[in-house]
Amino acid sequence: MEVNLNSEADKLKKIRFLHFILVNVSVVLFFAVIGVRSVENSSSNKPLVLAFIPQENPEKLIGDIAIITKYLEKELGFPVKGYVTQDHAAAVEALRHGEADVSFMGGLPYVLAHDQIGAEVILSEIYRGSRTYRGRIFVRKDSEIREVGDLKGKSIAFADPISESGYIYPLEIFVNEGFLKRNEDPQSFFSTVYFAGGYQQAIQAVANGLVDAAGVSQFADSLLTPKQLHEIRWIAESNPIPSHLICVRKGLEAERTIAFKKAMLKLNGHEYRYLLKHVYSPDGYVEAKHEDYKSIEDIARLYGFIK
Amino acid sequence: MLKKNFCIVLNLLLATIIFSPAANATVVKQEPWNPIAASYLRSLFYLNLKPVDWDRVAEEYRIFEVNGYKENSEYNIFTKLKDFTGEDHGLIIRKAIRGKNSEEFYNSSTRAISQLIRYHLQEALVSLGTPSISHREVSEAKQLYRAFEDFIEQLDPVAYKKIGIAWLDLVTGIGSEGIFGIARKEPDMERFSSSRRVIEQYLINNYEVKRTDFGDDFTPLPLKAVEEKSKIELKPWLPPGSDLTNQDPLPRLVLNIESRGIDEKELFLVAYGDMLFDSPEIFGEPARSLGITCSTCHNRSDINQRFFIPGISAKPGTVDVDGHFFNPRFNDHRNDPLDIPSLRGLRFTAPYGRDGRFASLRDFVRNVIVNEFRGDEPTPFMLDALFTYMLEFDWLPSPFLNPDGTLNDRTSKSARRGEELFNSEFKAMGGRACSTCHVLSSNFMDGLRHDIGSGNPSSPGARDSFFDTPTLINVKYTAPYFHDGSHETLYDVVVWFDESFNLGLSKKQKRDLTTYLETVGTGERPFEIFDEENTLFLLDWGELSTFLSTLNSLLPMQDKTHTKILLRTVSRDLKVDAIGLKDLSQSTMVYELSQKLDEILDAVESDDWKRSRELWLEYQSLEKEYGSKFK
Repeated sequence: MEVNLNSEADKLKKIRFLHFILVNVSVVLFFAVIGVRSVENSSSNKPLVLAFIPQENPEKLIGDIAIITKYLEKELGFPVKGYVTQDHAAAVEALRHGEADVSFMGGLPYVLAHDQIGAEVILSEIYRGSRTYRGRIFVRKDSEIREVGDLKGKSIAFADPISESGYIYPLEIFVNEGFLKRNEDPQSFFSTVYFAGGYQQAIQAVANGLVDAAGVSQFADSLLTPKQLHEIRWIAESNPIPSHLICVRKGLEAERTIAFKKAMLKLNGHEYRYLLKHVYSPDGYVEAKHEDYKSIEDIARLYGFIK
Repeated sequence: MLKKNFCIVLNLLLATIIFSPAANATVVKQEPWNPIAASYLRSLFYLNLKPVDWDRVAEEYRIFEVNGYKENSEYNIFTKLKDFTGEDHGLIIRKAIRGKNSEEFYNSSTRAISQLIRYHLQEALVSLGTPSISHREVSEAKQLYRAFEDFIEQLDPVAYKKIGIAWLDLVTGIGSEGIFGIARKEPDMERFSSSRRVIEQYLINNYEVKRTDFGDDFTPLPLKAVEEKSKIELKPWLPPGSDLTNQDPLPRLVLNIESRGIDEKELFLVAYGDMLFDSPEIFGEPARSLGITCSTCHNRSDINQRFFIPGISAKPGTVDVDGHFFNPRFNDHRNDPLDIPSLRGLRFTAPYGRDGRFASLRDFVRNVIVNEFRGDEPTPFMLDALFTYMLEFDWLPSPFLNPDGTLNDRTSKSARRGEELFNSEFKAMGGRACSTCHVLSSNFMDGLRHDIGSGNPSSPGARDSFFDTPTLINVKYTAPYFHDGSHETLYDVVVWFDESFNLGLSKKQKRDLTTYLETVGTGERPFEIFDEENTLFLLDWGELSTFLSTLNSLLPMQDKTHTKILLRTVSRDLKVDAIGLKDLSQSTMVYELSQKLDEILDAVESDDWKRSRELWLEYQSLEKEYGSKFK
């Protein structure tokens, strides 16, 4: 934050200086060009900082970050840094304090970040050919659970209380079926509710027979081993959820935002597609605006997360 | 009691009674490991190899002691543990390494890992009001616990479940900070503490007690649980850092029959040999349970630059196939990993083996199956099928070579200058040229073995370091180079020759020679290109269909032995390959097909050949229905 304020102050000083030149000196164009270049140089030395959410294994992400930041530096022509945050909350805090300029994020943390600190979505992931995905209720194939009503008095693992596909949307399935009231303690329906810490932990808990069900992203099954995949099935799915996204902090320079967006959209092209596997493996990115996440905002409002 | 049980462990391992094999030709990539847990397991894996390489153990210990987490390099775990428990594991481990005392090393390092898990759990408790810190500490504890987890799951499944639930309770009990306090979940001290007790008690009872009777095995088993068992059954395991997954990009397979427009399904021997090349069934333990096949090392007839097993590979793309791990009876007690050679153009590259020890491909293949990978004696039919298939391996077409091996006019000036150098006789090489051995008109080979000084003779004057002249066709894609993979690039190879023979090449000449080698070594479309039409699953699916086409001959012949190998291989492969589907919801169709193959297998096992043929027709009907839908 301090760095940004200084940068803004520098800009103001330089603009005033240019204004003085414009008024008092006849060689306007020459000095104006020098001044603008000077602004660009000071901005270009400052790294663009990306926050990555540790979806599954943070150590794998560290290697991915090195690859993607190298690509971005080459494309953008200024330094790019990336780091893995502890969780979504830490990423949002980093955006708030200017410690990160850009963050990869799920839809629910994003709408909270938009509401609280004015973060703006710039790109949405296309994943398995779609801009939306769903939360699902997974059970073991050998269990007698056939529909969500059968889960009364059974145990369930969710990913995280602040996850759209790993908690809120799967929970909505039970609300819509009339087994739970919205904002009611889910413990009133299930015997035990776990927050396993991530999609993988939650779905593996089912596959390993530790819990009766998991409420997670439809794609969580890709985090299982072949043997585990063979042992699970899903019994219900939620309404569509807008896909994961990339957002920027409030106040990030427009030219940086545009340049970053352009570089990320370039990953859709054949030449750079191989890099997508280092940013959570989407099929590609599309431009996005806040309205695209209105459905999550509506749910967040129903749960009292935003006004 | 304890002594008896560990003898059982040893005996069973020697007798390779290993349950629940997870054999598959497609090997699943491991999740990255916590570096401390990884070093610990690698160290124990080295203790299980004979002779024990204590330098490797010491190297792991150095990482283990100093690095801790990479992002926390100053963190010395032993200092923390000393404060936590009062025990100085560092001192004992150093002493164990110096004294080459495996038992002492095992006991202290295992106890240290267990205590480190408990240390992080305590830190999580202390920070319970700050969920983000508690979650981090629990996450570290869980990552360390992974060092024991697989073994607990196999040997103490009841406890494995109980502890698994305790970890879930622990994480849930921490609560959540939410975002800006929104959706905050308060910590549940009771839930956290009771689950912590479950985990701690198990660790103390099973991993902090002194183990005294090891036999020859230093796998971290839950000791108390093992004591209560009369029989120990354990799957073979590989240490963290092992990589058996296919090379990326995947080499392109060129079969001569296919280049000539012949469908592999029309060639029974080739199709069955293709299946055997992808089947762990032909190998014994531990390769079979680990899913190792010929194609694990020779992806699509070429190499696998990723293949790596700590303690067995010197670097990725190399392997010591005559060491203790794969077949103790064939252990040559030499730590001599070899570069995995490409099998392209195999029918032209005799003799076989890096030192050309096998004139016959059939003998070579048998040696790989029986001696290197401990398989049962293959039937004559299996050997025929395998080498008939392997003889179809072609090189990638060379876009820059004339039939006589000279460069064509599409090549660069630098490459042509390199060609001149390659054909120049060097006084320092006894008046020979590079092309004296790498004969242009003979695919850059001479079929002979030479000692060029790249080996490691057993004594001065010993004549035991001769190696087969390798082809240079497609050499651009087969790094690393030399019999031991000691050179990373073709430029390194040129520099080695220049320095070893005092050739006096200028920098430009070395570059030209390298360009020449790269030009000779270039092949058309070297790698498989995956897209919407050619996904990894569809490539596997096509192969498996080809393999299964041999049932049309095997079932009428009532060939039980070879039908069983085929069905076991394809059924397992199908299940594993399902994970490569673009749309995982289609996996149910794949499992249905796999189930049908299992039913055919059951019919074959009970000699119900009529039923097996009916089921095969049912399978074909399903295959037709589902095949077009797969992505």
